[in-house]
Amino acid sequence: MKRIIMLLCLVMAFSGCEKDDICVDETTPQLVLEFYDISNPTVLKNVVNLKVTGDGMTDALNTFNGVSTISLPLKTNEDTTKYHLLLNSNSSTASNEDVLEFNYTRENVYVSRACGYKTVFELNNANGLVLTDAITPDGLWIQDTNLQTNSIITENEVHLKIYF
Amino acid sequence: MKCISKFTFSIALALLSFSGNAQEEKVTKDSVAAKTERYGLRVGVDLFKLTRSFYEKDYRGLELVGDYRLTRKHYLALELGNENKTVDDDQLNFTTKGSYIRVGFDYNSYQNWLDMENIISVGLRYGVSSFSQRLNSYEIYNPNQYFGENPVVISGEEYSGLSAQWIEVVAGMKAEVFNNVFVGFSFRLNRLVNQKLPNNFDNLYIPGFNRTYNGDFGVGFNYTVSYFIPIYKATVKAKAKTESKAKSKGKKK
Repeated sequence: MKRIIMLLCLVMAFSGCEKDDICVDETTPQLVLEFYDISNPTVLKNVVNLKVTGDGMTDALNTFNGVSTISLPLKTNEDTTKYHLLLNSNSSTASNEDVLEFNYTRENVYVSRACGYKTVFELNNANGLVLTDAITPDGLWIQDTNLQTNSIITENEVHLKIYF
Repeated sequence: MKCISKFTFSIALALLSFSGNAQEEKVTKDSVAAKTERYGLRVGVDLFKLTRSFYEKDYRGLELVGDYRLTRKHYLALELGNENKTVDDDQLNFTTKGSYIRVGFDYNSYQNWLDMENIISVGLRYGVSSFSQRLNSYEIYNPNQYFGENPVVISGEEYSGLSAQWIEVVAGMKAEVFNNVFVGFSFRLNRLVNQKLPNNFDNLYIPGFNRTYNGDFGVGFNYTVSYFIPIYKATVKAKAKTESKAKSKGKKK
């Protein structure tokens, strides 16, 4: 009996201290883009030195090379996120910039004690995706877009297909 | 470390009162006289919650405890309480307010010497809590911080009419320190049976149940001072008496 109580005391003494849990759940999703060949729309095509920069940001998100899938974070405190996509960014003559603008509504969803909340996005029907040319026009390198879903709730699916 | 010393202190204090008491009584009393035992009601207050209310500014709580001796070994136990706690986690800050009641029994497994009335018990409780929560603020978890850190969202959302029911396994002890005044403590393991969850939030703290671990598991502790109100006396049956004699002899060896 005394041993049981002592054991209980020990267990309690340690579990009484609240430890910081680590967030392991899926949280705020990014928008997943997949690139396809315009001349053969079922075949994935790798991008070449694609420099992606958020509108108004000085540092680029990343420069993607030799990949056909990229993920873009959306702003969780604004209903609009704009990205500049510069293809062949290391070339001064062949580079081409297009602008993708995403307009959406946001919802904060409870996840867990450790993660707190996540934001999920619903792209607007009317202007969820807007493709424009750069400020200094150089023509569109993105030939076609195909929005797969308006709901950005998980990263385990492709949200937008881009043909070039 | 702070938690550990707090617990060790309480344990040491209660154990001390046990041993001190035992020595006093042993000398003065004789077991030849017909043995009677007192039955009655014990009422008290949880000092752990009460003191926490003073030194922790995010906590206010009160728990009244009571038990009634049904048989030689069995006690009917009841705990009534009210808590108001603000939890400040990394991602969340919320306030839980509410009242609770726990009903159950204790089984005294301690063989007392002579007319001592100390208790080392195991027991079960069924707890019911009615509470409300206010989500003060929260943070959005975003693994990608390209656009900078997420600002804290001030919410203020109220979730009322929440409830929970649970089962507790209790291990505890009580020792008589003065005439009719008992000091005791108990440890509890709680398991949720049923709860009403808020929409788009969770019951991370439940009055009477405490913090929820893995969604439905919890632990508890109380440190009580109580007063025993004797109601009637009953003579210990001969069989029970010889049994207790044999046991106490065995212990003395």
